[in-house]
Amino acid sequence: MSQLKKEVVKAEEGEVYDVELSEDLLKANQRLAEKNKQFLHENGVRAIDVMGSIGSGKTSLIEKLIQMLKGEYKIAVFKGDLTTTIDAELIAKHGVETVAINTGKECHLDANLVKKALQKLDLEKINLLFIENVGNLICPAEFPLGSDKRVVIVSVTEGPYMVVKHPFIFMEADVVAINKVDLAKPMNVDVEKLRKDVTIVNPKAKTVATNCRTGEGVQDIARALELRETVLFG
Amino acid sequence: MTSQIVQSVLAEAEKRGAKKVTEVDLVVGKLTFLGLEQVQFAYEVLAKGTILEGSKLVIEEQEGVVKCDKCGYKGGFKYEDDPLYHVPLPTLKCPQCGSVVSIVAGKECTIKSIKMMI
Repeated sequence: MSQLKKEVVKAEEGEVYDVELSEDLLKANQRLAEKNKQFLHENGVRAIDVMGSIGSGKTSLIEKLIQMLKGEYKIAVFKGDLTTTIDAELIAKHGVETVAINTGKECHLDANLVKKALQKLDLEKINLLFIENVGNLICPAEFPLGSDKRVVIVSVTEGPYMVVKHPFIFMEADVVAINKVDLAKPMNVDVEKLRKDVTIVNPKAKTVATNCRTGEGVQDIARALELRETVLFG
Repeated sequence: MTSQIVQSVLAEAEKRGAKKVTEVDLVVGKLTFLGLEQVQFAYEVLAKGTILEGSKLVIEEQEGVVKCDKCGYKGGFKYEDDPLYHVPLPTLKCPQCGSVVSIVAGKECTIKSIKMMI
């Protein structure tokens, strides 16, 4: 007959416990991003996350897209930067609601910052949101924000190796804009080679050559983002 | 990221009334861009003055793993040689059937376990 031992087993002082956790710290951002996406959809808003190196043309692309789509969509923009509201002010000049998100030191936007910024918008008044991420080809890849599409802009002035050096962010992209193509010759950069590199890394991504100063290629970006109907030739 | 790690460990340790943490086991995906040496260094700095001070941070790297919904492949990335620069480029193409795969591992930063003294 077994008896309950009288002495209760107690933890000895100084005994080490091994506690299993399995807590993925990056998952927290992913969960928040999903919530952001749901919230945006519930309010009929489509969101586009725009990423790319410093000076690649993120703001220019957004400005050109706003000029093109202002009549068809009610647009708002989140502009992420470490500090200053310089770009946010440029964008606001187009007459769209702009929220500047200053990250302080963080080199990327995250779902939490986007959630906070969403609270500053009256979502009933908009149906298209551009989120301009901080200039960076590395960290934003790990931090989804809850957008419907992710655009990565790479400019020819960054040289020919950007895709080869940073493949993982291109794996996150739905659309890749190869910008400043008017400068490809003086830069000795082969735009088609960059396109091919993107397609090797991510066969799903749509690539578009652009010149965001003149607006060349921006219509194709809008179509690739499904913001405009694709023109079908019979 | 390291301060998040320290905060999470502290929260868990406090929840259990731990007196001291001796070891933290971390799994970091190879597709994240965490500098492991930097994390180690930052960990030591942030642990000072807390019950984590003096504890060991053991980091295990997790390889990138992709999954193909078409043929069921689950394993490492396919790499293609860039013909011009001779650099192996990771691709989202399935090494088995060529369809587009999804990434299922390699993007995490997971606290696997914590050794603590209650």
